[in-house]
Amino acid sequence: MDASTPSATTMTVKDTSLFYGGFRAVKDINLHFRPHAVTAIIGSSGCGKSTMLRSLNRINDRVNGFRVEGTISLGDQDVYAPTTDVVDLRRRVGMVFQRPNPFPMSIFDNVAFGLTLYAPPKRADLEMMVETALRASALWGEVKDKLRRPATELSGGQQQRLCIARAIATRPDVLLMDEPCSALDPISTLKVEELIAELKRSYTVVIVTHNMQQAARASDVTVMMNMDEADRAGHVIEVGATDDIFTNPQHPQTEAYVSGRFG
Amino acid sequence: MNSDTREILATKDVAWERRIMAARRRATLIDRAMTGVMSLAALFLVIVLSGVIFIILRAGLPAISWTFLTTASSITDPGGGIGPQIWVTMYILVLSLAIVTPIGVGAAIYLSEYARPGPITNAIRFSTEALASVPSVVFGVFGAIVFLTIMNLGFSVLSGSLTLALLNLPLMVRIAEDAIRAVPTAYREASLALGGSRWETIRKAVLPSALPGIITALVLTGGRIIGETAPLILTTGTTISPNAQYSLNPLQTGETLAVHIWVLKIVGVPGLQDAQLVADGSAAVLLLIVLIINVGMAYFTNRLTQRLRGASGAPRAGGSKKG
Repeated sequence: MDASTPSATTMTVKDTSLFYGGFRAVKDINLHFRPHAVTAIIGSSGCGKSTMLRSLNRINDRVNGFRVEGTISLGDQDVYAPTTDVVDLRRRVGMVFQRPNPFPMSIFDNVAFGLTLYAPPKRADLEMMVETALRASALWGEVKDKLRRPATELSGGQQQRLCIARAIATRPDVLLMDEPCSALDPISTLKVEELIAELKRSYTVVIVTHNMQQAARASDVTVMMNMDEADRAGHVIEVGATDDIFTNPQHPQTEAYVSGRFG
Repeated sequence: MNSDTREILATKDVAWERRIMAARRRATLIDRAMTGVMSLAALFLVIVLSGVIFIILRAGLPAISWTFLTTASSITDPGGGIGPQIWVTMYILVLSLAIVTPIGVGAAIYLSEYARPGPITNAIRFSTEALASVPSVVFGVFGAIVFLTIMNLGFSVLSGSLTLALLNLPLMVRIAEDAIRAVPTAYREASLALGGSRWETIRKAVLPSALPGIITALVLTGGRIIGETAPLILTTGTTISPNAQYSLNPLQTGETLAVHIWVLKIVGVPGLQDAQLVADGSAAVLLLIVLIINVGMAYFTNRLTQRLRGASGAPRAGGSKKG
């Protein structure tokens, strides 16, 4: 075997419904998240986009009453199988949250957090890994002289790129992003979008966004979700290449949404 | 991102992965072990709590009867009750809380909402914390000097209530201040931005959210008042005058249940055969009072929070509606 193997992995969602207690929040989802591509999930508030995303790394397990029906898999591994090691799953499926959530520690320690969890590497290796992650998140130039400063001193946009660096430092297979730019200014947003476009070369990227232009600019595949008025459950309206979704939507709801007439 | 960086990130370092997986096995074991440790600690807590309740009630319940709860105590003949002691206990509880709550909450509001952050505020906060850990008997000595000697209030329910109010003031301020400071700044700003005055903002936007914490302060303080002995022995006395039982006069001497237990168990009452049983019964009654107060307060807090935040279990947008 080679010293290294490609890491980006396909995630598949098959006939999946997601429940909060007795309430079916999301229904009948069939999706395929391709490696080396950015898949954007769009749709109006409350349509279950985030619930969908948060079920991919089982971070929603923490919510009381949350339940999954159907099959979600990472490569050929069943994410919700009883034998699945949730901790290892989350190590392989990284996540960036809506609000930048750096730990109240130094910039360096934030990026090193995931790397030092189980088998802390040698100092020199660790420094190299932190640098690589910060370079990859286009933050190195801005922070290389203040790695020991508190992460909270960074601007919002820098904090979010730091969180991305933190997430990719452990080299996950998949990167989930839950409206990563909703708390950022346009310039920071552009930087993060450029970063996402770069990151897809290494990972499978899934991003939830409210921002139509962002989906259009940064993604290859777009998933349009909406709430079914009949049973209030979110479901997929349309999936397609981003260009098609925005220029030639097949479903009237998609057309209305991407042209800004509702949502 | 240069191509080297991309290359590194796009690949798995097999040696590193192998190392992590080995360490992960150990981490999984530690994870399980720690789950066990925390569960054991919680189990121990449950055992201690139920043990206390069980042992105190088993010793004390046989003594409890309607007569026991309503008749006066006797230091000569068996068959005495604890009616007046319950009365004095509740009287001091109410009077003391009535004194300490407005001052404590007021000071807490001042410290969190009005005081400018800085060395002086920090010094006050630090002193309050220090004062909270002063032994209660010291407050008893202080109360005896100030209320008995200087103000000449004598051994009385009032002297005791004032002493306990002072004793509990620091704790009350600390907990209430924490509760008030924990209210998100956004609430204050929302109210101020609507043109709310400082007081309107505190009253309508801050205090409602801090209320559960403030009630916790009240309950903890109340528990300490009910259970305190040393300062009361020095300021309220250990006897209840036979012609002032169930009196509302705050200048009467008094004996709370806790003090009564102390007298029966420690000081001893020669010739009273059922002293131990009465003491055990008093302890059980004391425990029950505290339990009832706690359950009652929890219920009250719940109701209050629901009323302030809007109906509980608010349906999700468009969800099931109440008929």
